Amino acid sequence: MTNSKLDPARLEVIRNALIAGAEEMNLSIWRTARSTVVRETLDYSTALFDGKGQAVAQSTRIPIHLNSMSVCLDEIIANHLPLDEWQPGDVILTNDPYCGGQHLPDFVAFQPIFSGDRRVAISASIVHHVDVGGGAPGSYYAGAREVYQEGLRLPPVRLVEQGSINETVIRIIRQNSREPDKIAGDVYAQIACLKVGANAIERLIKRYNADTVVAAMDAVLDQSEAEMRSAIGELPDGEYSFQDFVDDDGQEAVGLEIDAKVTISGESCRVDLSRSADQAPGPVNCTLNMAKSGVYCALLCAAGGRAMANSGAYRPIEVVARPGSIVSCLAPAPVANRMATGHRVVTTVLGAIAKASPNTIPAAYYGVSYVAALSAPDPVVEGERRVYFEVEVGGWGAHPEADGADGFSAGFHNLANSPIEMCEKLFPITFTEYAFIPDSGGRGQFRGGLGLAREWRLDADWGVLSGNFERFRYPPYGLNGGEPGSLGRFQLTREGETTVLPSKISGIDLQRGDRVRLETSGGGGWGAAAKRDPAKREHDLKNGYISSSD
Amino acid sequence: MQYPVRVAVDIGGTFTDLQIHDARTGDVHAFKTPSTPQDPSIGLIEGLSGASQRYGFKLSEIGFILHGSTIATNAVLERKLPKGALLTTAGFRDVLEIGRHMRKNVYALKAEPRPLLIPRHLRFEIAERVRANGTVDTALDRGQLEQFARDLEESGAEALAIAFLHAYRNPEHELRARDFIQSALPSITISTSHEVSPEVREFERTSTTVLNALLKPVISNYLSSVAQRLAAAGVKATLYLVQSNGGVASPEEAANLPAKLLLSGPAGGAMALGQLAHQHGLTELVGLDMGGTSSDVSVVMNGVIGETQESSIDDLPVRLPMIDIRTVGAGGGSIARAETGGLRVGPQSAGAYPGPVCYDRGGQQPTVTDGNAVLGRIIPDSFLGGGMSLKVADALRSCETMIAEPLKMQATAAAEGIVNVATAHMASAIRLSLFEKGVDPVDFTLAPFGGAAGLHACAVADELGIDRIIFPSDASTLSARGMLFADLRHDLSRSELLIANDDSLARLGELVTELSDEARALLHRDGISDEKQQIEIAFDMRYRGQAYEITTPCLTIDSRTPASPVVELDNLLERFHALHEQRFAHSSPREAVEIVTVRAAAIGQLDKPELSFAVTVQELPQQSKDGKKRNVWIDGELKEIACIHRDQIVGSTKVRGPALIQEDYTILLIRDDWELSGLPNGDLNCVRSGKEQ
Repeated sequence: MTNSKLDPARLEVIRNALIAGAEEMNLSIWRTARSTVVRETLDYSTALFDGKGQAVAQSTRIPIHLNSMSVCLDEIIANHLPLDEWQPGDVILTNDPYCGGQHLPDFVAFQPIFSGDRRVAISASIVHHVDVGGGAPGSYYAGAREVYQEGLRLPPVRLVEQGSINETVIRIIRQNSREPDKIAGDVYAQIACLKVGANAIERLIKRYNADTVVAAMDAVLDQSEAEMRSAIGELPDGEYSFQDFVDDDGQEAVGLEIDAKVTISGESCRVDLSRSADQAPGPVNCTLNMAKSGVYCALLCAAGGRAMANSGAYRPIEVVARPGSIVSCLAPAPVANRMATGHRVVTTVLGAIAKASPNTIPAAYYGVSYVAALSAPDPVVEGERRVYFEVEVGGWGAHPEADGADGFSAGFHNLANSPIEMCEKLFPITFTEYAFIPDSGGRGQFRGGLGLAREWRLDADWGVLSGNFERFRYPPYGLNGGEPGSLGRFQLTREGETTVLPSKISGIDLQRGDRVRLETSGGGGWGAAAKRDPAKREHDLKNGYISSSD
Repeated sequence: MQYPVRVAVDIGGTFTDLQIHDARTGDVHAFKTPSTPQDPSIGLIEGLSGASQRYGFKLSEIGFILHGSTIATNAVLERKLPKGALLTTAGFRDVLEIGRHMRKNVYALKAEPRPLLIPRHLRFEIAERVRANGTVDTALDRGQLEQFARDLEESGAEALAIAFLHAYRNPEHELRARDFIQSALPSITISTSHEVSPEVREFERTSTTVLNALLKPVISNYLSSVAQRLAAAGVKATLYLVQSNGGVASPEEAANLPAKLLLSGPAGGAMALGQLAHQHGLTELVGLDMGGTSSDVSVVMNGVIGETQESSIDDLPVRLPMIDIRTVGAGGGSIARAETGGLRVGPQSAGAYPGPVCYDRGGQQPTVTDGNAVLGRIIPDSFLGGGMSLKVADALRSCETMIAEPLKMQATAAAEGIVNVATAHMASAIRLSLFEKGVDPVDFTLAPFGGAAGLHACAVADELGIDRIIFPSDASTLSARGMLFADLRHDLSRSELLIANDDSLARLGELVTELSDEARALLHRDGISDEKQQIEIAFDMRYRGQAYEITTPCLTIDSRTPASPVVELDNLLERFHALHEQRFAHSSPREAVEIVTVRAAAIGQLDKPELSFAVTVQELPQQSKDGKKRNVWIDGELKEIACIHRDQIVGSTKVRGPALIQEDYTILLIRDDWELSGLPNGDLNCVRSGKEQ
């Protein structure tokens, strides 16, 4: 290998080209996808791997996706399809949580990239598909007790074999989906983007030769590893434990504990989740892959974003979990709403690291993807129905040097809200409020970010409501004497009477005039409230972020 | 001819650039003078006076002044804005602050700052509600209006933005609130959302309205200062302001809708790009305008300058039609640094002050310009027309100590590395910009301009597989040239959700008639006669359920068009499917299509002087035959290469790379494999060897 040719400038040029390649794949999906889940909520991610299966460059998208793809690939290579059997022009696809996937709607696809006979890279994409069957539209069936009730499972398959697509697999996918055209379109988009990634790698090989590109990918991984090691090295050696809770699994009202013991020794760390709760009957379970993704996300955050997110950064991190627990569930445990637990892994690990580094880690963010769905008649086209999806966020945890951000996407996900005026044109609803909730941020020397209130009224004769929420019982924690953020809440007001709904519901029938209100939780506070700068308190009071200066 | 002279003035941070057209000779001249940031109108007058002396015209002979500036932009970036208040529908005052949630720094522990122009205590709510279809859900409460007027007065705000939900569909409540407050508090300037950005999506419309409200006093003051100075200097010209949409507007219009000036800085360059494409018969042209802190990419596709309906300034959304420009944080002032074995360049910039190390104004960190200076690619004593001499030794020292030593490389290799990384950033920006439009860089010609692009153009083209480059004459004042031949333009729109089928035809016809009547009235007010009016109607369309629309051109209305224009639905749909296919690689002719917004671009053609193809630029070329040689580092080797003044490349002269081409305010590096020749209009044609064009 001619590593001497790889001067730092050329390395930087190739590194940027790899990131640009992943972004180009990203744009390719956006350009070609069909469903609203992909086009509007941007629920997909892309990455480029080296020829050995290590993630090198990722698009700026969704942490939960990005940090799971390499673990997924490891599982496929180790137990299903060894890399040596991958041929030029193959595309390997799976959605099986028990073969490296996440939950059934997420399809992961990989394509090897060759230079002559040599496998130099792999392009990868993960896309949340609109529906893969199962007990509820969108494949989020809150009543599931087994993964079999959640939809179609595809073990790792060659969807494309040496350039020719296996139409039978496409037919199977279509046959199992409530939205066959959309899912087929999105699968094609997901495959097409892999070729875009391959083109980016091939351009680099043409310009610099394969040895240089391979050496550059090695060096990029080593850079990230060095950055992550130096970040971990700054933490004092020792064992740090922390516990946080998932509200419930939607079936039994029992808190589910997540327990993280983080051991720092020198420049590496071990995260032991073994004492976390047993896997739950309802679909809030994480596979080990998912839990690892949460741990990696937490450590990338703890490193302040300075390590480029790739397999190099994961090298110093060991993740241990007990098979059969909620963070390493065994088949056939249901997993559709695994985000509930995934977010909690992130906040628990960060809580443990905060004990090692109390002056850099913020208090807990809201820590949940607040997803609600309404099925109701189309206000424009008579006789049709439409499904309104809403994804909301809450407040950031206060940082040791700053207040938490109010109502802003944080942690494990990264989402956009939907314009109110556009929703009102497309769905039979009228919004009555979208606002910060005063006093919802945990009090402290630095205040937690505020949660949001979003309320609408149904203007149609019928509607069916479902929701997947968290933080209704266990609030986001404060740190260093800071108080916890507020609890979330979901409520229905009918003819003047207000009912508080549980955190996970499906199939609630609505009537015309019903008001549905979601309140998301605020972030935890940091430091004792008594130490708060009076000017900041004055500012909060003047602007109504708090209602009194007590 | 009483007013034979037309002047375009582009006021930038460092220089005020002028382009002057004199109808008596047909000549176009360029002139440059330092900007006067404290009061830019001083530099404007100095530029006019300087040019009039140099090129022999009287100030009283100027008929038109087309004025581009970054005054609105800078006022926002530097927050030199008056105290403002916002009035919203009850329950929604936080829409402005909540924004759209999505973050850019995925793994940050401290959230990225989100700019906010009006704090919560100055955001007021009032009971009123209009539904999505324009009907009233809750009437506007007059009692609350009276209370609000008192609160507003007490707050001391000078500017007010009013943004009610669905006001673009039914402006009645906004109008009533505006009229009530205006009569109660005559000194407050008010902007309403339906006037500024009459389009669906509350956050983007509110943000644009707030920007407009806060800019109104700023721009009004500036324009009255300009008017006074022009009058005092004896200038009788009609003044027009360049807008982000590539057209110009009267001072009255600009003072009322200053948000339309916000992204006009790079618009001049894009307009020039459009003219270049036209002059050279090119349909696919990509412009790279490289400045001190960033580079702007603009695109001509099918002969038309790319437009967009939304952009942002400092992360504040601006929902207005404008020229589509992708900005990348790589410019001459971009700072290089060594990081854990890696060499990073930008997006931090040394800007003009302190600027690159070689400027000797206190800059300590090596920049892209320093890299070029160390490599011998900038001629130190003739930089910026000789106005500044460069300290190359200092640049070399900074490359040595801050990059080369930590990364264990040679100083010249570090310098070349900095330049190459910046080049790669620009190439990536162009590739992504074209990729998202569904086109391939290899089908494009590159047009570099701005002070620094000429040094990087060949390398950028090499990265992208582009085989042809046009180096426009006077690249450093090209933006001003783009403005010189601008037309008046107003943009009007109506957001109304309609299914694109026969049932909607009547309503579409009404909307088009309404908009075109309004457009005609505006152009008449500007003094544009019927035969100089052109109204472009376009629809923002999407497949039912999609989140993003594609602006689809529908028809052009001019003085020959019959009174009631007809929307031909089949043609429109066909065009939409074709655009969707090009941009997104698929289309579904069987699926329902909806129309979200109807647009009218009202264009008032200003008189365009007949321009001979031979534009004379600056003084006559000095014909000297003996080219000098310079030592320049290229690809790790010190090479002695030809250094030729641009004016020497005339007629059949051909220059084969490697060579440096020197101009007064910029310099071009022609790399190996490239061949340069002159074009009749003074531009230079550069082609990859073996790819004759």
